[in-house]
Amino acid sequence: MTQNYFELFNLSEKFEIDSEKLQENYRSIQKEIHPDRFATSTENEKIQSMIKSTHVNDAYQTLKSPIKRAKYILSLHKSVEKITLPPNFLMQQMEWEEHLENIEQSKNELAEFKEAISKEYEQCFLLLKTQIDIEKNWNEAAITIDKLHFIEKLLNKIKITLN
Amino acid sequence: MALLQISEPGKSTMPHEHRRVIGIDLGTTNSLVASVISGSPTILNLNNKSNLLPSVIHYSKDNILVGNDAKKLLSKDPKNTISSVKRLIGKTIGDINKDNFPLNLEDGDGVINIKTSIGIKNPIEVSAEILKSLRTVAEKKLGGELMGAVVTVPAYFDDAQRQATKDACQLSGLNILRLINEPTAAAVAYGLDKKSMGHFVIFDLGGGTFDVSILNLTKGLFEVLSTHGNANLGGDDFDQAIVNFLSHKYKLNIKDIEIQSTISILAKEIKESLSNNKEVEVLKVINGKEIQETFTREQFKTLVDDLIKQTIEATKSALNDAKLSTDEIDGIIMVGGSTRMPCIQEAVKSFFKQDLLNDLNPDEVVALGAAIQANILAGNGQEDLLLLDVTPLSLGIETMGSIVERIIPRNTTLPVAMAQEFTTYQDGQTAMSIHVVQGERELVDDCRSLAKFTLRKIPPMVAGAAKIKVTFQVDTDGLLSVSAEETTTNVKASIEVKPSYGLSEDKIKTMLQSSYDLAEEDKNSRILAEAKVDANQLIELTQKALDTDKDLLTESELSQIKNGLKDLINALNSSNKDKIKEATKKLNSQSEPFAAKRMDRSIQKALTGKSINKLEL
Repeated sequence: MTQNYFELFNLSEKFEIDSEKLQENYRSIQKEIHPDRFATSTENEKIQSMIKSTHVNDAYQTLKSPIKRAKYILSLHKSVEKITLPPNFLMQQMEWEEHLENIEQSKNELAEFKEAISKEYEQCFLLLKTQIDIEKNWNEAAITIDKLHFIEKLLNKIKITLN
Repeated sequence: MALLQISEPGKSTMPHEHRRVIGIDLGTTNSLVASVISGSPTILNLNNKSNLLPSVIHYSKDNILVGNDAKKLLSKDPKNTISSVKRLIGKTIGDINKDNFPLNLEDGDGVINIKTSIGIKNPIEVSAEILKSLRTVAEKKLGGELMGAVVTVPAYFDDAQRQATKDACQLSGLNILRLINEPTAAAVAYGLDKKSMGHFVIFDLGGGTFDVSILNLTKGLFEVLSTHGNANLGGDDFDQAIVNFLSHKYKLNIKDIEIQSTISILAKEIKESLSNNKEVEVLKVINGKEIQETFTREQFKTLVDDLIKQTIEATKSALNDAKLSTDEIDGIIMVGGSTRMPCIQEAVKSFFKQDLLNDLNPDEVVALGAAIQANILAGNGQEDLLLLDVTPLSLGIETMGSIVERIIPRNTTLPVAMAQEFTTYQDGQTAMSIHVVQGERELVDDCRSLAKFTLRKIPPMVAGAAKIKVTFQVDTDGLLSVSAEETTTNVKASIEVKPSYGLSEDKIKTMLQSSYDLAEEDKNSRILAEAKVDANQLIELTQKALDTDKDLLTESELSQIKNGLKDLINALNSSNKDKIKEATKKLNSQSEPFAAKRMDRSIQKALTGKSINKLEL
């Protein structure tokens, strides 16, 4: 039950993963163990398939999302501590938020802003890859995860405003 | 001479024998039943006339009429003729606008009571009558007792509505294999029929509910990416728009149940006629007032413009959640009788900028899909298809300041279990009340209240020290169960469940008993027969499991299961129902670790099979 998520899907424990292989293996496993396969089975097997299928869903959702995946890797290596974001990033956050409020009405500016923030996202993402897979610098990675989390939320806000 | 073995009807213990199963579309306006017959999904028609059973019930002291016979009495005897009961199921009186229902409705502990001349009926009982009627048709057409049924519900139904529908199935005597979502069922019927692959939108506008689901169809797996909708929006509301227009213009009193019922029927006729004609002439006398109108499609469109907009907004939200844009959609499947309205077709077509797929009958596609899924679940079909569906609405609990803390976000793949930790607010607090809600809004009052629990016997600690872990679990029927536990101590805390909606387990039991009204003797023999079927199935499946996976067990585990098997076989020979039940329970618990190990092996196999395939390539 508490099997390592990476082992479960036959993947090596890295931030950079083969998402196609993840999806393919997820589907193969669900095809075997999903409760629909045990609809006329014994109570035992119904319960077990429900437990495993739930676990596999949870594992898949965790590895599919870059942020959750990064957090999961960190949880395997260090105990969770409260981290604080550097003050200059907090300033940056406020500036971005303000900028979004100012350009709410302009489609062009919103599209430009989306482009810029997408680039920020890419950069953070690459940084995280280095920090986790190469440097194994868990403390720095924890800060980058928080930044990425903020940027992802901001990007969603921009997309919703655009629509 | 050896005795011939005859198994319980419909519950054959032979693993590969065809099992009699059906799919039911329990609709607001019409209901249908279908089954897979010699490999092809088929609607079972009623009395060789129509495929649709109007979801209308008429109660009188002589009999209960269901379908067309009841529908004929809608305007003659409105108070005892119940239509659109799906709009009442799983709700309380505060959730609805009484003016929209030509019935005597009142508050009844957790449900809506419908006052008829033969007494009070609730929506679960009324729905069960429709289901019973469909069950009878199916048993007649398929030639025997049914093993089970898949019943569809709107994807946007909340937990209370799903639970109430499941209760109605139980009350009708159907063995429910699964509740599945209507748009998902439609995707199954359509996708398999046309061998479609890619991203598909199912736009399902029925008589009383609206769903839009986005699915990714691949070979052997249909995955719901997102679903959105409105469980209170359907063809009935389009009728209501006409009712409001007429009653306002001609000053008709719709508080009068008979007048209301007459205008409702007229409005439906106008709407349906406008689907085939560009304009409709109306000349009718209602309550002494002469109504003379010419309705055009344009005029109708203006009346319902707001409703159309709501469906498009929901579609946008579903696309957002699926992270897709309109040009990434490979097809739009139109489902539900209300998608026949030209104004709906035009709106959807212009939103997606592509033609719509409506070459399957929009009334029948859901029932056909349900029948296919029932066939798959029963293990009858050669069809290799797995459905992965999602939870339509976020689930959470109330925290300080009536704010909702989300535990399971909407559009999460099922089955799912998620937990969150909470803590105490006051020093020495020994109990915590947990209010479970469903919905997307931040404030508790704007969400649907599902249940209230009290967690007691929390050891007294300073405020903030206790750790209360609340776990939400949603099964493959989309039904929620909640548990809570204090984790810093080993004290297992107790939970009191008080559902704020629906019927209690006890009430259902009494309803079931009174509906069967079996003599004590019959009841006992029925229980014995059922216990025997369960025991035989367990023996057979355990033996099969041992044949293939015995090597997973230690010697002591193996001998324990073998003993359990022997005991169960002995109990079966005794024909004592209590002994059989006890031995079944024992063997079930003895083989629990075995089942878990077998499941792990299946996972291993799923992945090894893959790598071998790859090597061959």
